[in-house]
Amino acid sequence: KLGHPPELPPEPTPDYEGDETFLRRLHHVLLEVEVQEGALRCPDSGRSFPISGGVPNMLLSDQEP
Amino acid sequence: EKGRARQVPGWGLMGGGAGNMAAGPGRSRPRQDRGLEPFLAREVRARLGATEVDCVLGKVFFSTEAELGELKKLKSGERLFLLLKKQTPLAVSRNKGKMLHDIKSLVTEEPNYWLDVISIWRNLHGYKGKKGDVSQENQLPLKRKSEEETNIATKRQKTQQVRETTSEECHVEAGERCVVPERKSDCWTESKASLEDPSKSSGEEPIVNEKLSFRVSCRCSGAIAKILTSQEIGRAIGIVLMKQFGWRADLRNPDLEIFVHLNDIHSVVGIPLFRLPLANREYIKTAGLRSTIAWAMASLAEISAGAFVLDPMCGLGTILLEAAKEWPEACYWGADISDSQLEGADVNVRTAGLMDKIELLRASVKALPLPSESFDAVISDIPFGKKFKITKDIQLFPDILQEMERVLRVGGTIVSLLSQDLHQRMNGITECAGKDSPHAISDGTSETTTAKALNVDGNSSSLVKGVDESFLSSQQTRFGFLVPDGVYGVSLGKTDAFIYRYRKISAAGNQ
Repeated sequence: KLGHPPELPPEPTPDYEGDETFLRRLHHVLLEVEVQEGALRCPDSGRSFPISGGVPNMLLSDQEP
Repeated sequence: EKGRARQVPGWGLMGGGAGNMAAGPGRSRPRQDRGLEPFLAREVRARLGATEVDCVLGKVFFSTEAELGELKKLKSGERLFLLLKKQTPLAVSRNKGKMLHDIKSLVTEEPNYWLDVISIWRNLHGYKGKKGDVSQENQLPLKRKSEEETNIATKRQKTQQVRETTSEECHVEAGERCVVPERKSDCWTESKASLEDPSKSSGEEPIVNEKLSFRVSCRCSGAIAKILTSQEIGRAIGIVLMKQFGWRADLRNPDLEIFVHLNDIHSVVGIPLFRLPLANREYIKTAGLRSTIAWAMASLAEISAGAFVLDPMCGLGTILLEAAKEWPEACYWGADISDSQLEGADVNVRTAGLMDKIELLRASVKALPLPSESFDAVISDIPFGKKFKITKDIQLFPDILQEMERVLRVGGTIVSLLSQDLHQRMNGITECAGKDSPHAISDGTSETTTAKALNVDGNSSSLVKGVDESFLSSQQTRFGFLVPDGVYGVSLGKTDAFIYRYRKISAAGNQ
């Protein structure tokens, strides 16, 4: 859920490969939408990495030289 | 547009020349003591179909019929000049008068040739106009018909426009002149020609009734510099030019600049083709690393279509910008630990219009959040020892190299820029490994802390162990299999640096 049209179903339908509307929406979300403010979440650890100004911060601890 | 059958004799001058690099202890490999000449030589052949390419001491001389727009695309040259004169070095004598006389002949020997070249220069500029200079473009004649345009009034008008509308550029250039030039050892001064009127009493009428304004920039080194200063030379040349051609001197905003380089190898006179150095890229807002070197590094990475390229310490992103401009069919990733640098990089990427090609993230090069073997090339300016002496930060280097190697796929390349200091320490280690003599340090720097730092395991073990496990050897190391594939010495201005290239090979020994 992006709060950004077009909406995507929670899971792909079994025949998604032929569903052009779905594919177009998916393509848009994957390749044409850029997150400016938000976060990335690691699926393994659940850790969240903030995104600011389009740039994600992947540092494990806050280090500035 | 290429209908004109004319050869433009020209030469490229670069700041990254071998001449800068003073000999010193520890420099044992002459093949490394070269600047960007090989890159520029290759480039002029490839881009411009140049002929008669000749590299000498930081300069590349060549002939081409290319148009101004193509010349402007050269990426590894600092400045481009139209050649007016190139000859063997001047005979040096104690007799100043004689020397000045010889120098003056440099300029007065072939006045018609000078006029031809200057005519070419005017046509080149008359046609093209300056960037962003819309009004000028509209008013200029569209075709370079003949080289002999005798309409003086038109020319004067053009000249006026050039002066008015390019005052901004000239300001920039004036500012640049104040910057310490690349070669500190040479004297680089702007010479003010005497303000006397072009004297009629010399008995020689000016050949052309042009009111061109000019400035002489003279640079001399070697034996000549011991007898004459560049000011004296510049002044003498200025005077004869005024007499010969009837031009007037203008230090601030001349139409024409005459560059004179006198050293032990040759005497060269030329006119700069562009007001701004080629190294100034209009698509880069804030440059970090010198753009010519960044481009050269990218060219070594052999970026092909669809490649993934990473700069894990990208700073302001200069390397990525140069690479993405030249090889746009690849995906570029930049990482940096510093927020402020990334902000600068972000602005650069947006200004250059490369947002869909360059992805930025804030990350540590010691722990890259990127999958193994996911990149075809890793290019980076290694920051140690550039601005300050090498500190204990160098202990990070093995970790950094390890991560760079991890994310690189087999067959990929790593291209790194190392400071002079770091390079010397590398030399010491590899030469020791080669000589199979654990106790020798060939470069003379026997700082054990440094040697320990370079030890692969990062422990403070003895020098012997460090040498045995040199991560630079092409043998199996903790870094998988990095095979050295070339070292290129370049100049950063005040210091020298070295571009290292490595290839990653597989366990079985093939790529």
